[in-house]
Amino acid sequence: MDSNLQLMLYLIPTLLGFLLILPFGRSLVTPLTEKYPSLASERGRVFSGLLLTCLAGVAVSFQTLWISSKISEGGNFCASNSILSCDDVIGNPEYNTDPIFGIPWGGIGAFVFCVLLYLVYSSSKEPNADWVSSYLKYGTYITFAGFFVIGMLVYYEIQMEKICQYCTTAHFANIAAFIGFYRLMRMNESKDWNTI
Amino acid sequence: MKYTYDDEADVRTTTLIRVLALFFVGIMIIAATTSPIATGTKEGERAPALEGEFYNGSGWSDFNLESYWDAGWVEGDITGQWVAIEFMDTDCPYCVQSAEKMAVDANDFGGDASSGWDGAVVNFIASATELDISGHDSSRAEIIAFRDKTAGEECASSDCGSRPGAAHNFPYIDDLDQENMKKWKVSGTPSYYLIQPDGIIAWSSSANPGENLRDAILTLVPRESA
Repeated sequence: MDSNLQLMLYLIPTLLGFLLILPFGRSLVTPLTEKYPSLASERGRVFSGLLLTCLAGVAVSFQTLWISSKISEGGNFCASNSILSCDDVIGNPEYNTDPIFGIPWGGIGAFVFCVLLYLVYSSSKEPNADWVSSYLKYGTYITFAGFFVIGMLVYYEIQMEKICQYCTTAHFANIAAFIGFYRLMRMNESKDWNTI
Repeated sequence: MKYTYDDEADVRTTTLIRVLALFFVGIMIIAATTSPIATGTKEGERAPALEGEFYNGSGWSDFNLESYWDAGWVEGDITGQWVAIEFMDTDCPYCVQSAEKMAVDANDFGGDASSGWDGAVVNFIASATELDISGHDSSRAEIIAFRDKTAGEECASSDCGSRPGAAHNFPYIDDLDQENMKKWKVSGTPSYYLIQPDGIIAWSSSANPGENLRDAILTLVPRESA
């Protein structure tokens, strides 16, 4: 399968999740609210969008880790002469691991998105538990910290004059997740948490 | 005894187990479908990039070590071309002394039919740097003089034209800024690496003290008569 076509498997769920997270997500899911009652409430839509986004983030991060392992074997996955060439970015040994522990960025992404998935999944299952407000704050802080990592990775891409489309999808999932966690945190702080 | 059911603990534990299962399934799929090789300068690792401009006797042009690699090479294939890299400094006395051996080795294993070598071709490359040592003051002109064995430049306190051995016929990369040397974590010169046609480091002088490059080539590079 073409690598850009395969990317759609991750990009489409991320975009759908992002649309559900945004305030105008209601108009998109109105026909589905009878079958899925949780989508009728603002809180339910943001939780659903956030779950979808975090799942897509886990998947695209694992795919990125897989690509970096394949490239290290001497193979290629999405090499291209155009600016969109994830092989050139993920396969660059100077930039493809974190500077402290040497862990591939895809592995770090997969771990972080699993943590985010745990936070949002458990919060959605028990939204009135006393730990939910803490979990939503942790999610907001983690995704906000991700902005600094994204900034550094985008800087690397500028240095290489190449863009890794798989990495960009993971960056987008982090931004969408930040908006989702932030919106849920604000809703949780209001007295209308159970009626939104 | 009264048992109580804790809903909150159950939600978090169940969720954690599910997410952990997802994480480990992902890791297992990657472990089962790939065999990652680290990039580095130890034996068995993939050689890092070696870039810059090289002099091959006629002028300076762009060099990229990756252009030598053949991802489809399999062990024992005699048609694959190996690469021997020397990290050197034209003002390093040991590098000047070893210039003669390098000339002989490059002629013996570089694919010249008259040499009697019936093994895979070994491409020799030198990466010339300028060490941060007093008296080590190199330049591109000095690299050219060292390689071509021409007079007029000083190599390790003697005229480059009087260095031992014949003129070299292999490329010299300009690494005067030590960029490649640092990338390869070379601690001293001369340092040697023998690299397989697929880009994997087969032998390094730092990991095999007492062994020389010629012995490594004779031991590791496949030959027809072996």
